[in-house]
Amino acid sequence: MAAFGNDVFFANAAGLNASLLKKEFSAEELARAFAERLAQLGPRYNALALPLQQEALRKARSVDNDIKRGHLRGPLQGVPYAVKDLLSYAGQPTTWGAKPYAAQVFDFNATVIDKLAAAGAVITGKLSMVELAGGGGYRFASASLFGPGLNPWDRSRWSGGSSSGSAAAVAAGLAPFTLGSETSGSIVTPAAFCGVTALRPTYGLVSRHGAMALSWTLDKLGPFAHTAEDCGLILQAIAGKDGNDPGSAGKSFYYTPQYARPLSELRIGFAAADFADRPDALARPVFAAALDTLKACGVQLVEARLPPFPYGAVLSAILGGEQASIFEALIASGQVDQLADAAQIAGLKASLEIPAKDYLRAMRIRRMLQDAIQLMWADLDAVVAPARTGVAPKIDQPLFPPPGKTESTNRESSTQAAPSGFSAIIPAGNLAGLPALVLPCGFAENLPLAIQLAGPPWSENTLLAIGKDYQSRTDWHTRRPPAA
Amino acid sequence: MKLTRRQLAVALAPAAALAGAAAQPTADDDVELRAARDRAAANGKTLESQAVPMAAEPAFQFKA
Repeated sequence: MAAFGNDVFFANAAGLNASLLKKEFSAEELARAFAERLAQLGPRYNALALPLQQEALRKARSVDNDIKRGHLRGPLQGVPYAVKDLLSYAGQPTTWGAKPYAAQVFDFNATVIDKLAAAGAVITGKLSMVELAGGGGYRFASASLFGPGLNPWDRSRWSGGSSSGSAAAVAAGLAPFTLGSETSGSIVTPAAFCGVTALRPTYGLVSRHGAMALSWTLDKLGPFAHTAEDCGLILQAIAGKDGNDPGSAGKSFYYTPQYARPLSELRIGFAAADFADRPDALARPVFAAALDTLKACGVQLVEARLPPFPYGAVLSAILGGEQASIFEALIASGQVDQLADAAQIAGLKASLEIPAKDYLRAMRIRRMLQDAIQLMWADLDAVVAPARTGVAPKIDQPLFPPPGKTESTNRESSTQAAPSGFSAIIPAGNLAGLPALVLPCGFAENLPLAIQLAGPPWSENTLLAIGKDYQSRTDWHTRRPPAA
Repeated sequence: MKLTRRQLAVALAPAAALAGAAAQPTADDDVELRAARDRAAANGKTLESQAVPMAAEPAFQFKA
């Protein structure tokens, strides 16, 4: 039986696969170690939804047999992973992080889980999330069946949402990689708060069959990992056409860093105010240094800004209208009152009353903003902005003020008509279906900060090439939380 | 791990029991609901302030 040190728990997926092929340990030993660690330490961060230890060991034994027989399935073979509890796994509870669905069991796997099984990856558990992925707008981090997601860097801080457990598990070395989802910010935010690398793919690239629907036209699934390179390898495994997902674009993805354009040819848009004015004071030098590192990568940094549109309002109307239809039965039956967060309950109820004209107007503006952003790519290959402007908030701190106080929402952007710079890149990127890569870039108050790169649809290889070079020049993505 | 129906029922019983106990609406809930409605209405106003040409079709397509 191999004894595993911390280096293994924080190794990247490709490295673990290489060690397996060199017979430094077996897939079964690796799966057992990660599954036990997830079961043991997951609750410490409220990150664990469901351990799948027996399944992991069974799958790992079959991987060992495959490797013994020379049936090699690529760089994820034998690598343990875990998924957000919004993905169905046949015969096991899938709670969507919400009390009304605590007993829900599906008889099929999400497509991404089947794809990772085919690649030889070993599922070890399911991870906590904000209830119903937070579409109603939650005021407190405690808006989850599993309690508030606790940040591995400081358990008095939030791990972010809605993919809380997916980010915390990678940060704490409980899984080499995980899957999460984003409708508007649910991959970017927890990755930034927990200091892990993550990729939000282009809308339609990854099948959502077997995933909870929150918004048919916005939902995406994507990986959390230790490196940009791992994100590329995972995306290659989970991307592809799926007739079971009406939103599937029918495209595949091949991670091809060897064919990346020279970085010196790339023009990256940024807004100086996003780095110098908008962030919290302690975060500004960190973001300034991140820009310097990007320059050192050789890319051309170009002052730019998003076309002026009311991104937050458009996103709220579309998300609200679609979630109201998806959860109509939950809301109308009164079961919605079983959710943990009063603001989220109210938000879901109110979304049933959004006029059709507002939803349709938002969808028409969405077409306009998509066209305007498409024009922006004529001059730029990507844009960069802080992933979040500050560190993770304390878990008991309201994410937006109570009724009667100054209102904003936790949907990453105010509903102002023309946000400045790229301050609205999260709703804008999600509305336009753009890919985004989150890269840890430093610390303030001993808590992680990150930048995000967003690019045109299908530009994942460009973003990953920049990310890989960035991570070859920095070690922020290799840092480990003190208690881990 | 293969669960029998009985094992699954035992495992899920506490959560299911909790799920059955719906909270009673309170005055605070009414305030929250009003605030949520106000936010949605303000959103609608913001959308109205954006000029939309008649030719702009919604960003989804129906395929026959």
